[in-house]
Amino acid sequence: MCGIVGYLEKSGTSGAVGERLLAMLTALACRGPDSAGVAVWGPASRGLKVCLTAGTAERSPGTLTRLEAPDDDVAALEWSIQALRPGAEIVSVGRRLEIVKQVGGPATLEAEFGVAGMGGTHGLGHTRLSTESRIDLSHSQPFWAHGIADLAVAHNGHITNYHRLRRIYEQEGVRFYTDNDSEIIGVYLRCKLGEGASLEEAMEASVRDLDGSFSYVAATADAFGFAKDPFCLKPLIVGEDADAIAVANEEVALHAVLAPPYTAREADAGAVAVWKVVAG
Amino acid sequence: MKEVDCEGLTVRQINAAIRRLVDDGERDIVVRHPAARHNLAVATLTEARITIDGPVGYYCAGMSDGANVEIHGSAGWGVAECLLAGTVIVDGNAGNSAAASIRGGAVVIRGDAGARAGVAMKGGLLVIGGVCGFMTGFMMQRGTIVVCGDAAEAVADSMYEGVVYVGGAITKAGADTVVSEATADERSEIAATLSGYGIKGPDSFRKIVSGRRLWNYDRRERGLWAAAL
Repeated sequence: MCGIVGYLEKSGTSGAVGERLLAMLTALACRGPDSAGVAVWGPASRGLKVCLTAGTAERSPGTLTRLEAPDDDVAALEWSIQALRPGAEIVSVGRRLEIVKQVGGPATLEAEFGVAGMGGTHGLGHTRLSTESRIDLSHSQPFWAHGIADLAVAHNGHITNYHRLRRIYEQEGVRFYTDNDSEIIGVYLRCKLGEGASLEEAMEASVRDLDGSFSYVAATADAFGFAKDPFCLKPLIVGEDADAIAVANEEVALHAVLAPPYTAREADAGAVAVWKVVAG
Repeated sequence: MKEVDCEGLTVRQINAAIRRLVDDGERDIVVRHPAARHNLAVATLTEARITIDGPVGYYCAGMSDGANVEIHGSAGWGVAECLLAGTVIVDGNAGNSAAASIRGGAVVIRGDAGARAGVAMKGGLLVIGGVCGFMTGFMMQRGTIVVCGDAAEAVADSMYEGVVYVGGAITKAGADTVVSEATADERSEIAATLSGYGIKGPDSFRKIVSGRRLWNYDRRERGLWAAAL
C-alpha cells in the first residue's frame, strides 16, 4: 500500500500546511507504518534550504540535519557537501522546499521534527509500507528530485519499468541514491523540466512513459499536481473546499482537513491535474 | 428511528451497534459522523433503512441482503460490493468498483462513478447519474447498468451478458460489444427507473450488449482475442 497526500492553500498565503499534512497522514497511517515524511514549500529563504543526513560517526545514520546555504547553484552545493562529508545524503534542497522524513509513523515524525509547526503554501506527504526496498530514512518518501531546487514527489504503487529506465538514466550519468522505484519519478520529471517542459507537460508524459500501478503527487515552488496510471489501479481522491485543494488515497484524509461541504471525486484513469500556486 | 454516532467508535463497534439495533427490531437507523470510515453498514441481512449522514470510505454496505442504505455524501472504492438485495443510494460521487459483483438489488450513484463500476455484475441494477470511469461494466455477466452521462474508455469490455445504457458520449466501447440505439420501450423503462430515484436522465440512450464472440475461442478470430487481452 502506502499513503500519499497533497495540500494546497488556494489563496497562496502561507498557512498551517504542516499541520494539515500531519492530520492527513495520521488518517492514512494504517496504509504505511514503516516510515513517514512531508515536503513543505514554506517562505522563500535568501539562500538554499538544505536537509541532509549527517553521515558522521557521532550521529546515527538516518538522522536529519537542516541548514541554510548561501548559495544558488544546486549542483555545486551537492558536490561540495558530498566532498566535505562523503557519507552525507542530501534529502532536499530548495529556496522554499524542506523535506523531513523518518522511520516510523506520522506520530514519530511530529515528535522528531514538529511538522505541525511548518508553514507554507503547499506540501506533500507520504506514509510508507515497504514492499521491496529497505526501511530507512533514505528509502522513505517524499523524494527530492536532486539537481534541481524545489521539486519533490510522493508515490504510491510500483513502477515496473524502473530498472530499464534507471539503466537509461545511469548511462546518461544520473546518480541514484536509493533502490526505491519511486525515486525514478523525480528523476524523470527533473529531466523533462530540464528539456523545457512545464510540470504539467512532464507529468502528462510520465503517464505514457512510466509503466505499472501508480498514483503520485508532485510539486515545485509554483505548481502542485497529481498523476494517475492509465488503468486506475491505485486510489487517489481529489477534494476541494473554499480555501484548499487536497488529494489523498482515501477520503478519510480529506475529511480530516477540508471543511464540509466539500467536493470529493476519484481521479480518472490516466488523469493529470496541476494547479498554479498563487503568489500570496 | 435510532441513531448510531460514530464519534470515538471503531468500525467494528459501529457495525456491531447497527446490527444490535437491527436484531432488536429497529428498522430506521441513522448513522452520524461517519467521517469517511471504511466498511460501514456491511452485511446487513434485514430490510432495515440505514441512512449514513456523511461520506463513507471503502466497501460501504457490501455483502448486504435486503437493507436500504442511503449515503448522504460520497463513497470510496467498492461501495455495495456483492449486494444481494435491497438498495444502496449514494448522494455524491463514488470511487472505483462501485457495485462490483452485485447479484441483485439496486445501486444508485447520483454523482460520478470511478473506474470499473459494475465490474463482474451478476444481476441487479446500477444507475449512475453522472459520468462513469474506465472499464465500467467490465466482464459483467447479468444485470443492467444505466449511465446518464458520458462513459469513459472500454465501457462494457468483455461483457458476457446484461446490458449497459449510456446517455452521454461513449469514448470507446470495450472489446466484443455491440452498440445500438435504445428503443422507445427501453427509453420509457429507463425514464421510469430513473424517476423512481429522482433522477432526470437524457432523452436518448445507446444500448451496449455483448457481441458474444469472446464466449468461445475460435482461432479464426485470434485478432479479436489479441485485442481483448
